[in-house]
Amino acid sequence: MATLEIDHLNKSYGTLRALKDMTFSVESGEIFGFVGSNGAGKTTTMRIALGVLRPDSGEVRWDGRPLDLQMRRRVGYMPEERGLYPKMKVGEQLTYLARLHGMSAADARAAVEHWTEVLGVATRRGDEVQKLSLGNQQRVQLAAALVHDPQVLVLDEPFSGLDPVAVDVMSGVLRERAAAGVPTVFSSHQLDLVERLCDRVGIVRGGEMVALGSIDELRTTATSRWRVVAPDAPPGWADDLAGTTVLEADGDTTVLELGGAGVGAEQAILQAALAHSPVREFTQVRPTLTDLFRHVVSADDAAAAATEEKAA
Amino acid sequence: MNTVWQVAAREVRTRLFAKATIISTLVVLVLIVAGVVAVKIIADNDAGSEAERVGIAAETADLGPALSAAAESAGYPIELTETTTGDATTAITDGDLAAFVSGDPRAPVLLVEDSPAPELLTALTTAAQQYVMSSAITDLGGDPAQVGTDVAAAAPTVEALSTEETEFDPYAFIVAMVTCALLLFTLLQSGSLIAMGVVEEKVSRVVEILLATIRPAQLMGGKILGIGIVGLVQLLVFGGAAAIAAAATGLLDGVDLNLGSAFVWMLVWFLLGFALYAVLFGGFAALVSRQEDIGAVTTPMIFGMMAPFYLAIYLVPNLPDSPVVRILSQVPFFAPFMMPVRQAFDAVEAWELALSIGLCVVFVPLLVWLAGRVYSRAVLNTGGRMKLKDALAR
Repeated sequence: MATLEIDHLNKSYGTLRALKDMTFSVESGEIFGFVGSNGAGKTTTMRIALGVLRPDSGEVRWDGRPLDLQMRRRVGYMPEERGLYPKMKVGEQLTYLARLHGMSAADARAAVEHWTEVLGVATRRGDEVQKLSLGNQQRVQLAAALVHDPQVLVLDEPFSGLDPVAVDVMSGVLRERAAAGVPTVFSSHQLDLVERLCDRVGIVRGGEMVALGSIDELRTTATSRWRVVAPDAPPGWADDLAGTTVLEADGDTTVLELGGAGVGAEQAILQAALAHSPVREFTQVRPTLTDLFRHVVSADDAAAAATEEKAA
Repeated sequence: MNTVWQVAAREVRTRLFAKATIISTLVVLVLIVAGVVAVKIIADNDAGSEAERVGIAAETADLGPALSAAAESAGYPIELTETTTGDATTAITDGDLAAFVSGDPRAPVLLVEDSPAPELLTALTTAAQQYVMSSAITDLGGDPAQVGTDVAAAAPTVEALSTEETEFDPYAFIVAMVTCALLLFTLLQSGSLIAMGVVEEKVSRVVEILLATIRPAQLMGGKILGIGIVGLVQLLVFGGAAAIAAAATGLLDGVDLNLGSAFVWMLVWFLLGFALYAVLFGGFAALVSRQEDIGAVTTPMIFGMMAPFYLAIYLVPNLPDSPVVRILSQVPFFAPFMMPVRQAFDAVEAWELALSIGLCVVFVPLLVWLAGRVYSRAVLNTGGRMKLKDALAR
């Protein structure tokens, strides 16, 4: 098992720069979440990684070597635009794909049985794909990405269109594969899911990686926010505290921002609150991935606005 | 190679055993057998038509043998019955007799319903003249039989300077037509199967998964190979059915024709024609993204196939040896249709055959390169129709 490296990929479609120096790597056993608004370049990156698109420059490496056709056969890929032969039976289709990836007939059959069981479509093996519901087609598509025991997983929106049960099954499968050492990249708009599942996250905007790191790293900011619930404290009790700004004061609850101070500086806030009232709750408010994402997207909008102003 | 084989095997499995293929194969099969039987029936009617019943009066009976012989050689066999004018009139009205001959053998009377068959009239004239002649010879003291033999022997011998046979052979023509029609049918069918297969993969987007695993050339190569096998099987079934039906009905009995070699050559030309046309169908179909747009790509190709087909069935039988035909039949796209016809008419030299096969074999890799280039550039392009120029560029 080895690292999957995406190294300075550039890609333009005509005048549109789809990717600008896209760079990240996924370690063995790591689940990497790929997040960004529509058209940010996630799908382009994945398609390049699978050799379906050619980059203008840059390279995709696995185990230190360029990812060529032979190695690509060991990758499990789920494209954004789902694709299976609509008139082919589920079992036949999965067996065919497994064999294309180089599995023997017997192994392919066993793998098809295993994955259709796991993903809950075992009873539909004899049906044509077009006769399945959209959700079940999605499960078959996942089985298609997993059936050849891939050493790397690249999944474009694997969770879209799945019911909660299937989401749980899929999350379990990804964790299990990662535990077996398979580096996994997936993109998703379900940020809570990404937050729960991923070891590291990359946020892309306009073809560029704008934030990259573990969830903890991304949530760590220069300033910290604290929420205090002190029912008996008079309004404005926190206004004069040194080094803090009140962001929100709503009845019992006050949210303060503590600028730049070191560890322990928040204790001053707690003591000030205790001086006025019993404290029911005192917690750090950390930004969620959704907050981070909104922040990035709004920065995008601001940048776009700035460009428009210049143009005008 | 194994990968190409996997792709080909899938095509064979899904095409050969598809309901549509089985039904259309059966329909064509029935048409072929019915066609052969129909040809046989028509041929029988033509050649061994039943003898017409002709009545003859007792006083005219001397004309009988001569009349029968003359009618037979005119291709109008008759069966003579001695009868009377009264009976004959009723029989003719009832349709039991075709005609009634009576009166003096020197000036016989031919009684018919409305008008006599020209052959019968000629035969009767000949018979009467012969009778007069024989009587005259007898009167002069000669032997009519001896004179008859001498007259029959007095025929010229033809000495032609050219030894080439230019006779129109209807059986060669039929074999050539059947070969051409089967070639056109199977090539069109497999061509459109390939085009539809390529577009189906584009439309269902399965091509993206496939191309993440295998090369475009492997995918296209496997598809063409698989559908080629399906086409070949169909051709074997059709050609075999035609040959078996012809043998069973005795259609080609006594005809100097080597069906076995005609069949083998048909397969050779199918393979070459398939290699030429199929690759182009595959490559160009990748340009469109929706099933509805297939026509825009396949229609020109179908017309491109019709031209050599019509030239082959209209021009070649009339001028099998003309320079135009000789040159055109060397052109790769024309050869698969024109050569079988020339071969059926025995109007082709061995070196010409070798040259045209050689040219096809040289041309195929060029086409494969061209089609492969178009295919691999266009197959992942979604949205509108891609221009050929754009696909070839870069």
